[in-house]
Amino acid sequence: MKKTLSLTVAAGLMATTALAEDRSLTIASWGGSYQEAQSKALFEPAAANTGINVMQETYGGIADVRLQVNTGQVTLDIVVSGSGSAARAAAEGLLEPLDYDVIDVSDFIPGLYTEHCVGGDVFSTVYAWNTDTYGEDGPQSWADFWDVEKFPGTRSYRGAVAGALEPALMADGVPMEEVYDVLSSEEGIERALDKIRELRPHISVFWSSGAQHAQLMRDGEVDMSTGWNGRFDNARADGGAVMHSFNQALLDYDCFAVPKGAPNKELAMEFLNEISKPEYQDDLPKYITYGPTNALAYETGTITPEVAAILPSSPENAALQLPIDLDWYGEWETIAAEMYQDMLTE
Amino acid sequence: MAVTSIDTGMAERSNARGLRSDERLERWRLFGLSSPALLIVLVILLIPTGWLFFVSFIGADGSYSLENYERMITRRSYARIFQTTFQVSLLTTGLCILIGYPLAYFMSQLPTRWANLCLITVLLPFWTSLLVRTYAWLVLLQRQGLVNEWGMTLGLWQEPLRLVHNMNGTLIGMVHIMLPFLILPVYGGMRAIDRDYLKAAANLGASPARAFWTVFFPLSTPGLFAGALMVFILCLGFFVTPAILGGGRVILVSMQIVSNIELFVNWGAASALGVVLLVLTMMVLWIASRFVRLEQMTGGGAR
Amino acid sequence: MSDVKQDALPITVRGVTKTYGKVFALDDVSLDVRSGEFLTLLGPSGSGKTTLLMVLAGFTRPDRGSLKFGETEMIRKPPHLRDLGMVFQNYALFPHMTVAGNVGYPLKLRGVSKTEMASRVERALETVQLGGYGDRGIEQLSGGQKQRVALARSIVFEPRILLMDEPLSALDKKLRDRMQIELRHLHEKLGMTTVYVTHDQREALTMSDRIAVVNHGRIMQLATPQELYEQPANKFVADFIGDSTFLEVTRQGDTYVAAGVPLRTNRKIPDTRDLLLMLRPERVSLLEGDPGEANVFDATVSELVYQGESFLLYARLQDGTELSVRGAMRAGTFQTLPSLGDPVKLTLDPADTVLIEGGEG
Repeated sequence: MKKTLSLTVAAGLMATTALAEDRSLTIASWGGSYQEAQSKALFEPAAANTGINVMQETYGGIADVRLQVNTGQVTLDIVVSGSGSAARAAAEGLLEPLDYDVIDVSDFIPGLYTEHCVGGDVFSTVYAWNTDTYGEDGPQSWADFWDVEKFPGTRSYRGAVAGALEPALMADGVPMEEVYDVLSSEEGIERALDKIRELRPHISVFWSSGAQHAQLMRDGEVDMSTGWNGRFDNARADGGAVMHSFNQALLDYDCFAVPKGAPNKELAMEFLNEISKPEYQDDLPKYITYGPTNALAYETGTITPEVAAILPSSPENAALQLPIDLDWYGEWETIAAEMYQDMLTE
Repeated sequence: MAVTSIDTGMAERSNARGLRSDERLERWRLFGLSSPALLIVLVILLIPTGWLFFVSFIGADGSYSLENYERMITRRSYARIFQTTFQVSLLTTGLCILIGYPLAYFMSQLPTRWANLCLITVLLPFWTSLLVRTYAWLVLLQRQGLVNEWGMTLGLWQEPLRLVHNMNGTLIGMVHIMLPFLILPVYGGMRAIDRDYLKAAANLGASPARAFWTVFFPLSTPGLFAGALMVFILCLGFFVTPAILGGGRVILVSMQIVSNIELFVNWGAASALGVVLLVLTMMVLWIASRFVRLEQMTGGGAR
Repeated sequence: MSDVKQDALPITVRGVTKTYGKVFALDDVSLDVRSGEFLTLLGPSGSGKTTLLMVLAGFTRPDRGSLKFGETEMIRKPPHLRDLGMVFQNYALFPHMTVAGNVGYPLKLRGVSKTEMASRVERALETVQLGGYGDRGIEQLSGGQKQRVALARSIVFEPRILLMDEPLSALDKKLRDRMQIELRHLHEKLGMTTVYVTHDQREALTMSDRIAVVNHGRIMQLATPQELYEQPANKFVADFIGDSTFLEVTRQGDTYVAAGVPLRTNRKIPDTRDLLLMLRPERVSLLEGDPGEANVFDATVSELVYQGESFLLYARLQDGTELSVRGAMRAGTFQTLPSLGDPVKLTLDPADTVLIEGGEG
């Protein structure tokens, strides 16, 4: 289903802008409440202010981009993607390098943009615990997550490699900033896997979706789980005895990319610069509990301290976290995934 | 007189030719009637399978390569996943036989009206979605689910039993889904067994148990085999139930196919898994065909 | 299966009743089957004859009554402990076993050794003239062969009682006629008490030592074939066995009158008010010359049928009853017969003047 939403700007503005008819862009995102939030906070106001005519579409992910690029029929100018998928798409040569002379990322939280993809919103892979089992003061670190003496109970862990190795190394005593160095060898990956093997008898579920780990925590099926902060917020709002911490969490983000051979490449850069500005990004938490990528968005006053406390990218929370290293994922993910699978099937 | 008889002879010969060609024509017409079906088989079965084989030999860089198969040999996880798949399929089939056979036997002994009622109950689960039924098991079996709650309230066990997110849960869910596929052919086969066989056995001196094992059971095996094979093969490619109830700890081939598509972003890796599963399934069928005539499976009854 | 006759067992049935809802399938049936006797239960379908056989075999549980084999009460014994042979209507040969497997089955259950089993199976097959057929599959056999295998299976363990449920009904007429004789011979040879169920009166008359005619769950008459034919106990039996026409008989003092003719008979007259004269077509003849002692009826020819070996002449009495006369046919006989509408005189020998109880008994 393709939803084309034409955003025509005020007629008066059109008249004064000579190039109005040429200044149009097509953006593809994932639809649903997520795209609605983006549309209201970022796309519509930015379109109005720049006079760019923005057409929105929903799409199925990088596979669609691959199809367009390979057939030479590129119609999309900007696409929304997960950071990992974007990194792989970039490695495949499906994306244009972004022009950071145009896009101003000087105030961005470090690590939330790459050569081919600029961050749009932030989420975290955190550990959560059942407050009925451990109270408000639950585990304080990944080491605590691993400590089944101090925190006896069942665990749930991710069934895929993404975001699964870093916590294990931190629990094994590797300082946050050295995690990806250690992981950049098969021995390092094996070290992380051994740490997971250690916890394995207590892991009763390897989760495969956000909905699943939220349900596991809400129903008290497990006492602790890794997972995405927004999902645990929902579980808590839903009446679940669930708390999570941003300490040592993995900071990850969704980003905007430009497909190779996009028809309005230059205009796309301009628009990306516009929506990266704090005055748009600070509106995003009104519609969805994802954090902005531009640190200045926390200083406009729109985001209250209470809201900031639950956003992964607020300065206090961001400082506690390890940003996902996309270069590492680009280079090692398939190998690590195979090794992870070996571990899972043992 | 002579002239007429020659004429008749010629007429007979030309008639024979005509009749032969009518026969041929008729056969072609019959074949023509089935051509839409053949076309559909070609389009929805042969072409995609052929494509699956082709794609499985395409590597990540888009050229011909055996890497998708090599990976399966070098990585230990694949052998284990196939092993788990066959293990789960065998166990599910075994449990289905243990539960389904007596149930089918019970139904086959009921008067037709009651048996039909039972049959509807057996088929009832087909009316609800697979996903709903699977999630229902999750709700029932989890740590704070109904089964554990009741069991502990009644004092049957103290600690919550691990009924789900493991092999137990997977098997419970799969057996529940697969049971009708076993019961239907077994029941059909049993209904077709003439009651007089059992009377004859009793008359000749067989106790009820002896008559069952020497006469009824052997006659019900074609149906049993049909059902078991159907369940086994369905299990080999099953996805939803093990994915939800296995807790990520019971990994089957179908689940690996999905994660390979997500991970390698090309179809080759997943296709190769599909090919291997297809080949293994064909081998199972081939081995099965050596023990039992497969055409009996579709007939069901023992005569 | 030796040539030595086994000890046969008598069967005693007393007061056996079986109801299905309000319908009596068996209504207080008592019956004695003598040791070594070939007894046939004869009756129309639904008469209860098969139910009675199933009670003997143990497949139908009666509501009450007693059943003894010899001196032993059997009524509550399960079928597998009754030790009697039975041939089913559809043979019930096990399709998953060979001929030898089927015939050897009862021996296997009795723990007979392999070598002895093989020889006894072969002997049983030879008895039914199927020697060497042991390895055949059941599906490879013709109907008659199946019948013989079923028979071999039911006698191989030398039961002292043999039951047969319409075993010949699925065979064609020629084969049936031959099997009737064979079964009769086999019975003479083996000597086991045999209860045979059929709805075919000719089959019953051919094979049986005695026949029990069954109707509405009751035994109407138990007698030898000859008695049954010559002196039926009631109208049902008379009607069911052979062709008969009936004339109402009224009593005037010491004389019995049918269709206005005072009857002369040297048969026993049943002691009842409701009497019928039974007229079998082959016992009635056309008057030629002196009637002698015979009873004479005046009639008019209404139909004449040529039947090859015999003729059948229908004649109407004055009161409207139609009688039939069967006569043997010789060359020229047909030409001498009266024509349609001719008055004729029919005679009935006093020896053939059979008076029976009226009604359904």
